[in-house]
Amino acid sequence: MTLPVRITLRTIASLLAISLLAFAIISAMPSDPVAIAIRAWNLPVDGEIVAGLRAQWGLDRPFLERYAAWILRFFSGDWGLSFRTGEPVLDEFLRRLPLTLTIAFSGLTLALVAAVPLGFLAALKPRGLVDGVTRMLAVLVQAVPSIWLGLVFLWVLGVQLRWIRPFSRDWSGLILPIALIALHSLAVLTRVYRRDLIDISSQPFFRTALAKGLGRPAALWRHGHAHALYALLSAFRAEASWAVGSTAAIEVLFGLPGIGQFLVESIAARDYPVLQAYVMVVAGWLLLLNAGIAASLAWLGGRRA
Amino acid sequence: MKLRPIPALVVVALMLAGALWQPHDPDAIDLAHRHAPNSWAHWLGTDQFGRDLLSRLMVGGWRTAIVLVCVAAIGMVGGSLFGILAAMLGGWRGGAILRAAEMFIVVPTLIVALTAAAIFGLSPLTAGVALGLAGVGPYTLFAHALAQRLLGQPYVQAARALGVGGLPLVLRHVVPNMAPVLFAHIGSNGGLAVTAYASLAFLGLGADPSRPDWGAMLFEYRMFLFDHPMLMVWPGLAIAVVAAVLNASFDAD
Repeated sequence: MTLPVRITLRTIASLLAISLLAFAIISAMPSDPVAIAIRAWNLPVDGEIVAGLRAQWGLDRPFLERYAAWILRFFSGDWGLSFRTGEPVLDEFLRRLPLTLTIAFSGLTLALVAAVPLGFLAALKPRGLVDGVTRMLAVLVQAVPSIWLGLVFLWVLGVQLRWIRPFSRDWSGLILPIALIALHSLAVLTRVYRRDLIDISSQPFFRTALAKGLGRPAALWRHGHAHALYALLSAFRAEASWAVGSTAAIEVLFGLPGIGQFLVESIAARDYPVLQAYVMVVAGWLLLLNAGIAASLAWLGGRRA
Repeated sequence: MKLRPIPALVVVALMLAGALWQPHDPDAIDLAHRHAPNSWAHWLGTDQFGRDLLSRLMVGGWRTAIVLVCVAAIGMVGGSLFGILAAMLGGWRGGAILRAAEMFIVVPTLIVALTAAAIFGLSPLTAGVALGLAGVGPYTLFAHALAQRLLGQPYVQAARALGVGGLPLVLRHVVPNMAPVLFAHIGSNGGLAVTAYASLAFLGLGADPSRPDWGAMLFEYRMFLFDHPMLMVWPGLAIAVVAAVLNASFDAD
């Protein structure tokens, strides 16, 4: 089996496994969706309507049959109706997803692009200025929740300095959310990159490069990156998963209508179709990213060999 | 690799001690002293209902400590169980455990905890269990790496050659040698649990918003950002200090 095929198969298998797990957990929830729907839509409680809804949603059929029907409908684009709003779930996701993806991916990309030079500078001069600043930044962002950092930024930039209008509804309202994601990922990724570059400088091949007359910066620049990219991409995977959770909190803090905010509203109302769709969207997004990273790691490895 | 467990243990013990005594009733409403400044009676002042901020922070502290204890216990037991099992079995069975653990890395812990909070209600216990279970995957991989290295050590191989195998080998040679490192690793991830619980409480999810969780206090006091910023500074500082101390307990550099 060639590598692309293997990665594709593994991604599909993981997505199916996660979907089965999510479906099982949500089906096992103690509260009955029919009871919620009746309350939400103000329907009269009568046996006929209850039975009708149960049959319509297939709740009277066995578990695996329900799962198969749901997953087939899901992949054909029918994500069901929201219990809360009565609207198709897919439409709502399509409307909200661009905002969430913009925040998460702009933040992560900014961090990834900046982490390489910063990590390099930090590794070049351990205990130097860049090393010290990025170390402090890493300690800060790993201890301070992004929501509080967001509040502090709002207070300093919005209230004290008046550089930004807090909670504005245009593009400027996106700067802080993106910066919050970027700052955390930047700090973490820079530390990872620095540590790997420093590891490399104790390798025999690196000493050979030095012995052949390359200066330390030039040797690190030429031989370090290909190796350190491995750890960087692996750490990026964990950061992307962190970003999904934080984006939800940040969307709520700044009142941005993304899918995270939608999820939080839906959870409070026990809106299961939305919950299931969210799990699938997030899993699909992270698995795609994983597959991309696995492919690029393999490509990097193949190129080096 | 440096381990500094003492400060982390002291901080968790202090947080738990907040359950025993507070200077005031954390929920006592005193409308005559709303937004009181710092004083001997109210060290950190009072909030918009005249509730004593320090007392509320202390209650929030032990609630957070419960989350930490749950996360550490579940991660420790689950992670070492599956990690050692994978290392001992090896082959396709070990590989299957590791693949399953890897799959959990993809699942964002905060989303798992959000869902659990939606089903069972948000309390320190449910959040701790959910965050703990979500962490088992990564800890399994970490424990597996540790166990794998230990199994390759000469003294373990010597014990194996002498016929020690299975459970006695694990209990006598693997667990005692990996437990401190694994515990420190999990403790340092405790900072993540603290910030995750703060995010959960911030998002609320139908939980009683007047419960003095640090994250819920951030949510409640964010409205006073303009007039009384200190109200949201203190809970945030509490989260940051606890998370920083826990993170510093294990330094992989």
